[in-house]
Amino acid sequence: ILKKLEYKTCFHGGRLLRCVLMTPGTQQSFPSSVMQKMHLSSEPLTRGRLHTVKRMSGLCGSLWHGRHHQLPLVTLRSFLSQGPNPSTAAARVKLRTRLLVTLLFGGGLVGTWWYVYMEKQYKLQRQRVEQLKKVALGQGNFSLVDHRGQRRTKADFLGSWVLLYFGFTHCPDICPDELDKMSAVVAALDKEPSLPPVQPIFITVDPERDDVAALAKYVKDFHPRLIGLTGTAEEVKHAGRDYRVYASPGPKDDDGDYIVDHTILIYLITPDGLFLDYYNRMKNAEQITESIKNHMNVHVKL
Amino acid sequence: MAAPSSAERKACWSARDRLWKCLDDNNDQASSCQDVQREFEASCPAQWVKYFTKRRDYLKYKEKMQTEGFSPADGPQQPS
Repeated sequence: ILKKLEYKTCFHGGRLLRCVLMTPGTQQSFPSSVMQKMHLSSEPLTRGRLHTVKRMSGLCGSLWHGRHHQLPLVTLRSFLSQGPNPSTAAARVKLRTRLLVTLLFGGGLVGTWWYVYMEKQYKLQRQRVEQLKKVALGQGNFSLVDHRGQRRTKADFLGSWVLLYFGFTHCPDICPDELDKMSAVVAALDKEPSLPPVQPIFITVDPERDDVAALAKYVKDFHPRLIGLTGTAEEVKHAGRDYRVYASPGPKDDDGDYIVDHTILIYLITPDGLFLDYYNRMKNAEQITESIKNHMNVHVKL
Repeated sequence: MAAPSSAERKACWSARDRLWKCLDDNNDQASSCQDVQREFEASCPAQWVKYFTKRRDYLKYKEKMQTEGFSPADGPQQPS
């Protein structure tokens, strides 16, 4: 008589099968009541079922006491009495079905996870946009002169996406690096025909030295669409204030050279003229391109 | 004084890279890299020389902090 029955639950092919563990000391065959507890869900009693049972036993086999492994198989077989072994063809069909079901189930899981992940990313992005809107940078209206000598105001750039960088032409390495990066981003975005063109802008924080001629010389080394902007000290300060740009000229050298310490950020501005996002030195061109693409898609949706 | 052009910038940067490589190879002994140093100073505006020298010091310091660690300084002494 079975003293104790322990149930062990096994997963196989996504369907719940129950294995029956027997305590040591059991010698007798399964009484019929025990067999009733042997659930094989929703599968008709076919030849394949025996194969399932065998496989399932194999799965739980490691947990079974060695010498009892054969016992339930023999008794099960005699009980179910299917005759000879199920044909291998039927077994293979069953295997294929099980594999298919497993793959579908797994695929469904992955699909669900992916969907949830994308939703979360979208939500995070929306939150960030809300936060940046609250900060509300770039509200003002600047008026500067471009590197061709034409006066430009902020209104001139409404209707297109803008990438804005503040720097100066005497910058040792950071400004050229960032402008190269910005040019690469604009070039990458240009390759996408479905996206609107982005306008790169460079505003100097060193109006004393960076006049129209100096800017013209400087911007031609970067993206052809890059516009350099300068003006009087007051105009430049006004533009910098709009974007909370920090700029501080350092001590002057013997030959009057100096380095301007300044915030190193690339600003993304929407066609409505609102500040949307910023990118620091840590972001590379690919990351920035991806981010801008996302912003553009979200913007259109809104 | 006009800003360095793109070509001048690149010349300065490669001179700087050569100097830094020389210093790396010679364990930061400036005496072994005198000629590279002179070349560097000739290729770059004076302000940039100062800037890059400070930059190297900073990078070395940062590396030291990251590899050797540091002991935090004692905070302000509490009045007894």
